[in-house]
Amino acid sequence: MTTPAISAAAAMPAAKMRASDHFAAYSFVDRIVEFERGSRARGVFAIPAAIDAFPAAFVAEAVGQLAAWVAMDAIEFRGRPVAALATETQFRRDVRPGQTLQLDVGILSCDDEAVAYNGRASVGGSEVITLIDCLGPMLPVTDFDSPDALRERLQLLRAEGAAPGRFRGVASLPVNVHEHERGVAIRATLDVPADAPFFADHFPRRPVFPATLLLDAQMKLAATLVGETQGTQREAPRLLRATHVKMRSFIAPSQRLELAAELSPAGTDVVRAMLSAKTDGRLVASARVDLAARADDEELV
Amino acid sequence: MAEIPVTQQEIDAVYPKVAETMADALGCDVDDIKPDVSLIEGLDAESIDFLDMVFRLERAFKIKIPRGKIVENARGDLPEAEFEQGGIVTEKGLAQLREYLSEVAPDRFRTPMKVADIPRLFTPTTFCKLVVRAQKEAAAAA
Repeated sequence: MTTPAISAAAAMPAAKMRASDHFAAYSFVDRIVEFERGSRARGVFAIPAAIDAFPAAFVAEAVGQLAAWVAMDAIEFRGRPVAALATETQFRRDVRPGQTLQLDVGILSCDDEAVAYNGRASVGGSEVITLIDCLGPMLPVTDFDSPDALRERLQLLRAEGAAPGRFRGVASLPVNVHEHERGVAIRATLDVPADAPFFADHFPRRPVFPATLLLDAQMKLAATLVGETQGTQREAPRLLRATHVKMRSFIAPSQRLELAAELSPAGTDVVRAMLSAKTDGRLVASARVDLAARADDEELV
Repeated sequence: MAEIPVTQQEIDAVYPKVAETMADALGCDVDDIKPDVSLIEGLDAESIDFLDMVFRLERAFKIKIPRGKIVENARGDLPEAEFEQGGIVTEKGLAQLREYLSEVAPDRFRTPMKVADIPRLFTPTTFCKLVVRAQKEAAAAA
């Protein structure tokens, strides 16, 4: 068996990449406060108060990014994890702009092939998300970013940290529903933008549509379906967990994705949504998401 | 390093858990997993799925399977230059491969065979053998 596991994306015109968006437009670690080489790390990210929302998928991204720093350092920046498998992600509470995430990762294994890790994020001492048995295939770092820039950035994060407030949010993505059986299934297209600030950060040398942005869009479709099974309700259905999250291919700028979400019962209080994303008929991402079957009051930290 | 022999009885002992683990990784029904099905051609597995399966098998059996080294293991004691030339498996290499992947039907070893196509031969039984070998190596090291 050989890697790389992920197919290549088309290059994005360099002129559209703004250097100021690097380490800003899709970077969710401000400072690393504890760092055991190749083993574990703790960090923080202050969610800017000025943005509209910080979805659960972004919290998962923050944990994954902290793990990526540990992994890249462990193999001397020869590779970086790109795309991911996440066996299980437990969503405990929503977070709000203005709150500060405490991030914690433990590396299970790391080599030039892949990094495996567990992680969690907390706010004010209360856990908001738990990532269990995640796996990131390692790809040559020079394909995606400057190893020197990454080394310098890690030094900064481990010292005084980066200036908070760099993240300015992500503009709404164009998701167009074309088939919708209420409370049962949705099919929609998502046109990945040709140009967006996050591409300059993810990644400067090869823009890749972030898996967590895709997951966020998919989870919104699932929440729509579950909401329809609950009749009128004030709050969005509560996310409980995601399993079998798997990115199979890079998603490049301008690609059209066919999204599908389909509900299936998973227990008395839980509804499961099977999520998929295809491009040109080929499966590029899949996941299962469990949501609370009954509306209840959302517990905010 | 000499290949560790694996018996059919040993394969049968780990097969149910291997099949269950593979079904979970591939998102298919466990009944779709047959001992001799090609994971790539029969179950649409991709490289990322192999990584996933190895990771899950390691946890399920509490073993360590060196990732990315399955093809290397298949080469056995044969030097790389004798195993393949220009990305094509040599006659000697094919003989070694047939021996290592004895569970694979002979007609699936096409010639010329690209090294990159070796994973197309892998079946659930191939992974059962990996698991058994890893168990034996761990036991020997203990």
